[in-house]
Amino acid sequence: MASRAQEIRVGRIIACFAPGRAAAPEAVAHLAKQMQAELLGLFIEDAELLRFAALPFAAEVGLASAARRTLDLAAVERLLRGQAASVREALAASLGGHHWSFRVARASPADAVAAALAEGYAPSLVIPPGGNPLAERRIVRAADLDEEQLRALLAAVRPVLILPE
Amino acid sequence: MDMTALPVPAVALEPSQLRRSCDAARLQFKTTAELEPLEGAPGQARAAQALEFGVGMRREGYNLFAMGPEGYGRHSLVLQHLEAQARRMAPPADWCYVFNFKEPHRPRALCLPSGQAPAFKAAMARLVEDLSAAIAAAFESDEYRNRHREIEGELAERQESAINEIGERAKAQRIALIRTPSGFGFGPMNKDASGVMDPEEFARLAPGEQKRYEEQVAALQKELGDLFHLMPKWRREALDKMRNLDREVTRAAVNSLIDELNSAYATLPDVQEYLRQVKEDTLENAAAFRQPGAEGAEAPLRRYAVNVLIEHSGTSGAPVIYEDHPNHAAIVGRIEHISQMGALVTDFTLIKSGALHQANGGYLVLDALKVLTQPYAWEALKRALRSREIDIRTLGQELGIISTVSLEPEPIPLDVKVVLVGERWLYYLLHGWDTDFAELFKVAVDFEEDMPRGAQDDELYARLIAGCVGREKLRPLDPGAVARVIEHQARDAGDAHKLSVRMQTLVDLLREADYWAGAEHHDVVGEQDVRRAVEAQIARCDRLRQRLQEHIVRGSQLIDTEGSRVAQVNGLAVLQLGDFAFGSPHRITARVRLGGGRVLDIERESELGGPIHSKGVLILSGYLSGRYVLNKPLSLSASLVFEQSYGGVEGDSASSAELYALLSALAEAPVRQSLAVTGSVNQHGDIQAIGGVNEKIEGFFDLCRTRGLTGSQGVLIPDANVKNLMLRDDVVEAAAQGKFAVYAVRSVDEGMELLTGVPAREIHARVEARLSEFAERARAFAVAAGKKSWRPERKK
Repeated sequence: MASRAQEIRVGRIIACFAPGRAAAPEAVAHLAKQMQAELLGLFIEDAELLRFAALPFAAEVGLASAARRTLDLAAVERLLRGQAASVREALAASLGGHHWSFRVARASPADAVAAALAEGYAPSLVIPPGGNPLAERRIVRAADLDEEQLRALLAAVRPVLILPE
Repeated sequence: MDMTALPVPAVALEPSQLRRSCDAARLQFKTTAELEPLEGAPGQARAAQALEFGVGMRREGYNLFAMGPEGYGRHSLVLQHLEAQARRMAPPADWCYVFNFKEPHRPRALCLPSGQAPAFKAAMARLVEDLSAAIAAAFESDEYRNRHREIEGELAERQESAINEIGERAKAQRIALIRTPSGFGFGPMNKDASGVMDPEEFARLAPGEQKRYEEQVAALQKELGDLFHLMPKWRREALDKMRNLDREVTRAAVNSLIDELNSAYATLPDVQEYLRQVKEDTLENAAAFRQPGAEGAEAPLRRYAVNVLIEHSGTSGAPVIYEDHPNHAAIVGRIEHISQMGALVTDFTLIKSGALHQANGGYLVLDALKVLTQPYAWEALKRALRSREIDIRTLGQELGIISTVSLEPEPIPLDVKVVLVGERWLYYLLHGWDTDFAELFKVAVDFEEDMPRGAQDDELYARLIAGCVGREKLRPLDPGAVARVIEHQARDAGDAHKLSVRMQTLVDLLREADYWAGAEHHDVVGEQDVRRAVEAQIARCDRLRQRLQEHIVRGSQLIDTEGSRVAQVNGLAVLQLGDFAFGSPHRITARVRLGGGRVLDIERESELGGPIHSKGVLILSGYLSGRYVLNKPLSLSASLVFEQSYGGVEGDSASSAELYALLSALAEAPVRQSLAVTGSVNQHGDIQAIGGVNEKIEGFFDLCRTRGLTGSQGVLIPDANVKNLMLRDDVVEAAAQGKFAVYAVRSVDEGMELLTGVPAREIHARVEARLSEFAERARAFAVAAGKKSWRPERKK
């Protein structure tokens, strides 16, 4: 499968970045240049997270510290903006003159990716949030892809090559 | 002394007594090229025997001290013996320093059979290369990757399932698990359980309901926190598994390579133990082989290097080392440092050997004075000899003045024989003041300064000259030149019946004669070339001699060489300037008068006279008081002085001249100024031997010749010095022509008769009468002083 994936010329790479699960922007940029494909950096501000942060007793338990911290919406939004900016800067620094774009989507990852896929550029390589760009790819036909399946593929963290119908 | 005995009149010595010539006609060769070179050291039988014993005696403390003056072939004879003995010995073991895996600051010393250290070093370097390749390949293998991924996956799965489990429990309570930027959070689900409840919807809930949610979320948060506390432990377990995997993979790659090397050194337990430690260390530090990275002292693979401290590949026999600059580091070795990020760092590869390492198992030759003048070098040498091991400590460590991180290398066993070469005074000084010295240097090798000059010895010396000529690649000498060289060496020995074995002067003379022969395009060095070399040597050094003579000739320094004068005698002194010695006359005068029996040494009073000179003057008092007016007090006050002498005067060789001046003053007998005198005197009036007799005679001769030889001029020398005469040709020639004379005298009486022309009996009678007169006058003064008080009498 991997060898077949290498033979296919990718039209666009959709690299998803999400808070706490950012793929290495440099590795993504390197892959884009190597594959000579346009890159779309998609920073997903998870709607669920924002809703959660707006709750009066919202708090998070730190993965590394195991400590409980109160969350508030403004702080989370500020954090997300900062993370998006730093991802953007890292991509800009790594890509140079390569064709690329960057956007911030406030939606669920599946909705954000579905919207990007709808713009064309098939075949597209989707790198889910936190995914390793160099890991083995799954190949899926766009015709076989419903919303549930897309959500499952994104949760699996492996890159997915979506072929035109 | 028997006052009635008549002295035998001193007569001038025969010309043949003034110089013992070497008869070139008796030398049976055309040039020295025909002679078998004499490579030994003639006249050094005692030293050679001591060397033979000391070199062969391999017991503790039997180190040697070769003593004697500079230039007598001490180094060459010592090295010759040592090299001969060393050739018969097996080459010693090689020594390396390697990393100490247990105590990194104490590098391990490894002993290998002679000549094998470089091969071991190369084998270790190859091993590291092979290990790098093998370990890198093992870690690139599919098996390793799969097992590594498996461990990582296992950990991720464990964490995820634990989190999911809590998430499921939360879901059952209609609470959603949300991923946040730095962790996880819990929030109430919306009505259709598709996501988190809107804040507005939550606000519409009854307070009781809200509170219930808050309590449930708090409990879940605590549960999640507890789970996160467990995660580092799980990660550590996974890391341990990975580490074990790394060790397993490394061991498989390393075992065969190290085992192969191990079998090559199966007979060396220390090397095997080291290789075992290397194996253990590679298992622990496999990562270093995969990413060698840094260079220099920080290079991780540097710890497997081998520092060959000393090796003997391609050599035969034991080492003989001469260390010309024996400072502390040069003797015991040193630990170098390199600068890294502004700090000085070191490791076992920067340990450098010293002379003791190089000579270990053989012989080490050192100049005693150089060792003693280098800070702490002598102490370091003694410590090594006492402990019989070489412990490399930098001077900074020993003095505790440098706080830079340093090493304490494992000491190396020492089996060396040290030969110190030095002057005699140094040997006796060390013997007297250093308690360790006698214990550590039990063998004294005492070098002679001359050898007997028997009938056969001229031939032997010619062979010695032939040896020097061969070694120095000089033109051969004809018999005339050899005869001149032999005579020069006899003169150097200061004895007609001895030959100097000072090799330095011999070789210098031969080189210079060769130079002059070359300048004259001679193929063979002839007598004239040697003569010219000797004259040129003197001419280069005799500026001061000429200047002194000029002062005398121009009348600045008063020395008479004709006429007679009471209480004035020409004494002779020798001046030694570097290697050149020459004689010069000095006027000695005496004044006498009635006094308390004291002979005043003006040189001593003015602190220009040395103790031996003062002793000589005191002996004169003894002579006078023991010989004259024995029944009366010696009522004499006399003063003696070296006129126009502004430097120090030392030695007693002028004491006879001083006595002659004193007797002349007392007897009022004029002394011949055409004669000069040398010789010391004892309390009985016997004339005793002195040094530098040839230079003294020649000094007076040169002055007389400048003013014109009259035939009445000459020098009085002690009879005991006749054997030392090796005068210049021109002096001998003048004597043969009756223009100059050398008189050998045995007693003061003989000398006084020669100097005054008055029989000794009469001189003594005049002195006796004068001293009696002094005594009587002194008695008269005493009587007068006793009758008339010096105090004015009081009127009653």
